[in-house]
Amino acid sequence: MALLELKNVTKNYNNECCALDNVSFSVDKGEFVSIIGPSGAGKSTLLRCINRMVEVSSGEISVDGVISSSLSKKRLRKLRTKIGMIFQHYNLVDRLTVIENVLHGRLGYKSTLAGVLGRYSQEEKSQAYRIIEILGLNEQMYKRCDQLSGGQKQRVGIARALVQNPKIILCDEPIASLDPNASKVIMDHLRNISKEMGITIIVNLHQVEVALKYSDRIIGVNRGKVVFDGAPCDLTTRQIRDIYGSESEDLMFDLGERHAG
Amino acid sequence: MQFKELIAQETNNICEQLSSYEDRHTPFKELFLTKDTINFGPIKLLDRASIAMRAVVLFLTVLTIYFFSTLDYQSIDVLKGFTDTFVNFKTMFLNPYAQRFTLGEAFYNVVVTLGLAFLTTLIGGIVALLLGLLAAQNLAPKQVTNLIKGFVAIIRAVPTILWVLIFAVAAGLGSAAAIIGMSFHSISYLTKAYSESFEDLDRSVIEALMASGANWWQIVFQAVIPSSVTYLLSWTFLRFEINFANAVAMGAAAGAGGIGFDLFMAGGFYFDLREVGFITYLIIAIAIALEVFSTNIKGKLQKSI
Repeated sequence: MALLELKNVTKNYNNECCALDNVSFSVDKGEFVSIIGPSGAGKSTLLRCINRMVEVSSGEISVDGVISSSLSKKRLRKLRTKIGMIFQHYNLVDRLTVIENVLHGRLGYKSTLAGVLGRYSQEEKSQAYRIIEILGLNEQMYKRCDQLSGGQKQRVGIARALVQNPKIILCDEPIASLDPNASKVIMDHLRNISKEMGITIIVNLHQVEVALKYSDRIIGVNRGKVVFDGAPCDLTTRQIRDIYGSESEDLMFDLGERHAG
Repeated sequence: MQFKELIAQETNNICEQLSSYEDRHTPFKELFLTKDTINFGPIKLLDRASIAMRAVVLFLTVLTIYFFSTLDYQSIDVLKGFTDTFVNFKTMFLNPYAQRFTLGEAFYNVVVTLGLAFLTTLIGGIVALLLGLLAAQNLAPKQVTNLIKGFVAIIRAVPTILWVLIFAVAAGLGSAAAIIGMSFHSISYLTKAYSESFEDLDRSVIEALMASGANWWQIVFQAVIPSSVTYLLSWTFLRFEINFANAVAMGAAAGAGGIGFDLFMAGGFYFDLREVGFITYLIIAIAIALEVFSTNIKGKLQKSI
């Protein structure tokens, strides 16, 4: 059975059609999936439907065999601990240190009081330390996050997701604010995580080349619809045109013609 | 791989196109070629806002002139009034002396006033912490924040002294009414200040923690409060300084005791200007000490947190 399954997922904002329109696909354990598409196509909404940060209007999403839409608050919390998430703007608590931010990933497993007081077990701390070490941040461990560079902050974001022991990590444009060097480091880490730890990675991307290089599978989204779903090698220029639509018609039209000829 | 080659070819193609653009005649090139000047009016347009502004200034000028030309001084000799006030100030501030109480007693009363300020700030801070969380837009639903913000805005609009006098109806004039009234105003002031400090934390950070399964209280204590603790402390300290000044006034006006009551008795009952001067100096010294202390604390906090 697939780890993540979306069936006819539709999402409307304010009764307007349609941030997501009848989206169905399933993702297996350890897959590295890129979602590409123009701005406003519904990529972020799609990602946030998976951990129910956005409620779907209709359709069904199941994560690891659990149908998420009907869960109570408490069980939703439990489900979310299995789904890590990293963001374009890192979304760390700037005034806290790296290790404190990483340990935030454990809050979902803790009782309210233990979380409020920030009491983490020895085991959790050593796990966090190991992850920080693997990501090459051990020198920054006690630094405040506002003193880090963008690439380092994103690595803290990855560490925070990993310390959750997730089955899936959702990445919302993880490299959109990073320079090419840092982007490569982040994408390499993500690929290694999916290959070596068997964690499913679903990543929203703006860079088609990066998606082609790293993913096992690409899903193209336009106006809330899945217009392409397949391996990177099957992605043709014509399909890229379909995904990005009329905005880039001129450029893509030339490409398409020559490809045909 | 085929795709990569295509992209490389396409890049070449674009470069060729770009170089051919240079020979064309674009509208921007004309910007350099034409030298005609266009006749232009004044840059600042006479719109409604500037007309209204000028009208207000004119109106105030006329009003000021009218006021001074029709002022009725009655039998007061303005010059003598000024000199008398000056003499009073001189006895007040150049010969301060306390004869009804010792320095120790005066300090004891200052401590009472400080206690009044401390207690009301403490009560205000604790209640405002909770209300501030519920009034922060990134932490609570919109209806709740609007309700609380509206409520505290109304409380804040009424001056502290009025609240004290209102509560004095139930509690009688004295320290109880002063504490309730001052706490009331502190709560509303600090709620607004705290909630705005909380709102400084980006909503997306809260989203990130929610996505990892953290609940509301955990997010508040692990992200929201650590991010805003310096602001919270400096607002609280500012309110403590305000409450100290209020406590002096309440001592006099509401009979809440402390150094304010002494000041009231010295000035209004015994007409002892030298004692008024002495107490004023004492209050100024305490206020300066508080200011220095709070600046130090703030500096240290900003370094360490």
